[in-house]
Amino acid sequence: MDLIKVKDIFIKELSIEFRQKFALGGVFLFAATVVFLIFKSFNEINPREWTILIWIILLFAGLNAVVKSFLQEKKETYLYYYTLFSPIDLIVAKLLYNFLFLCGIFFIIILFMGLFSSFPVKDFGLFAIGAALGIFGISVVFTFVSVISASDNGNATLMSILALPLVLPILLLLLKISAVSVRLLTDTAIAEDVWLLFGVDSILLGAMLLLFPALWRS
Amino acid sequence: MVVKGWWWKFSGVIIFLYVIIGGLTIPTRSGITKSQPGSAQSGDSISMTVEGYNTHFLSAGLNRAWLKLDSLYAIKAKNVNATSEVDISITFDIPKIFPATENVQPLTLIIDNEIDGAFVQPNSLFVTLSDSSYSDKSQWINAEMKAFNKAKGIKFPYRNILNETIRNTFFHVALWFAMFILLIIGLYHAIQYLRTGNFDHDIQSSSFNRIAIMYGIFGLITGSIWAKFTWNTFWTTDVKLNMTAVAMLIYLAYLVLRGSSSDHDKRAKVSASYSIFAFLALIPLVFVIPRLTDSLHPGNGGNPALGGEDLDNTLRLFFYPSIVALILLGSWMANLLIRYERLKEKIFMK
Repeated sequence: MDLIKVKDIFIKELSIEFRQKFALGGVFLFAATVVFLIFKSFNEINPREWTILIWIILLFAGLNAVVKSFLQEKKETYLYYYTLFSPIDLIVAKLLYNFLFLCGIFFIIILFMGLFSSFPVKDFGLFAIGAALGIFGISVVFTFVSVISASDNGNATLMSILALPLVLPILLLLLKISAVSVRLLTDTAIAEDVWLLFGVDSILLGAMLLLFPALWRS
Repeated sequence: MVVKGWWWKFSGVIIFLYVIIGGLTIPTRSGITKSQPGSAQSGDSISMTVEGYNTHFLSAGLNRAWLKLDSLYAIKAKNVNATSEVDISITFDIPKIFPATENVQPLTLIIDNEIDGAFVQPNSLFVTLSDSSYSDKSQWINAEMKAFNKAKGIKFPYRNILNETIRNTFFHVALWFAMFILLIIGLYHAIQYLRTGNFDHDIQSSSFNRIAIMYGIFGLITGSIWAKFTWNTFWTTDVKLNMTAVAMLIYLAYLVLRGSSSDHDKRAKVSASYSIFAFLALIPLVFVIPRLTDSLHPGNGGNPALGGEDLDNTLRLFFYPSIVALILLGSWMANLLIRYERLKEKIFMK
């Protein structure tokens, strides 16, 4: 793995994103609209709904955004990349980019949720660690699935079919951790869940790094 | 993995027939379904009417009964009178004085005869102590709790909530074991495909995975029916159920993925990587998360595990063969799929 190349691909992704402002704006508008819709239909969002809703909004906004990470470029471009970078560099850069992008969406959602209703988090450290690990896991799954759907003739519906069941274990852990962090539940052994989430993340990351070179060669 | 010959298919059928016939016809051991009254005062003389299950009170020569307080103290029945094979009335003189100080004492009913052996109903009588100012043991010893009979013949254990559904162990639990073995075989072929690029491995991997998914769905169905009779609902919030449902969703997505593409090479490569990824996602779901959380299943949240009293030797006589039979039958089914796919491939190539 070459860190400079990773950085290069990362910057390239970022600049493509900012050149196509409509895509970026579209994702954030999606998040904002959904939050507003929820605020108008619930009127008052209690902590239980709050924790569930932020993750569901993140999931669908993120799904829309990450789909294109491997679909937006042409086959010829990939052939060109193939001569330039090792597959690990490419996937790590894409993963980092998707991770930061999902974090961005997450902050926007939190911001709008805070604006329209409230911010009920009591244990901020736990919430931040849980969210970071969870978003990382989600971005690993999304990146991997987007590779699969891209190598399968750019089938975007396949993405949501494959990604949603795969993120469920991560999401279930995440819901529990955030429920504890807003004091909906009390659980003295929540550290175990955080470690478990970390373990799931690392297993999925390892699997992706192992499998991507074989997939990419096609 | 294609094993030559037909002996393993034949033995799979024979073993499974043995499991079905033996597992469904062997009676359960005797037990107590109901007893009246449920509570009494100390010093009372009570007559309990007890309803047995699979009992032979009339045919048995001598029925004996005890109320047990703990491992040391018990009282013997004054009079035992069988009215039918399954109904019996037992008279106890409950002593005024208990060798304990708690206000309410749970007593365990034990009945023993030479045909059914000894069987118990825990907490069948709650005795309220009228005088707990002092404790005395004299009336509680010499209960002659010894020379218990053994039940005749091979019988499955009687469990109070499970009753006859204990036989489902051979199907529900064995299906999960067999499913995992088949998934591991499928995983092995997926890895082999990615390493060698031999298309035959893809056919084998997908066939084993498909049969394993079928087993998983059967496992969910048998579990759901079992839950209806023991937990009184088809679906609960129990972690194991829900994690398994998630696992099944992940593998159903695998089927969708295989159906989505028409390009053989791409489909093989993509589905092999997805199945490896899915299997790795499955490990925390099925093995780790349920261990951390309470579950209604045996072995979780203070419930007894497989082994100990629950999986006693008579159950083992059918449980292990059932796993073997299901693996063999599953491999047979997978082999049929493999041969079908190979033929399709041959015709496609022409």
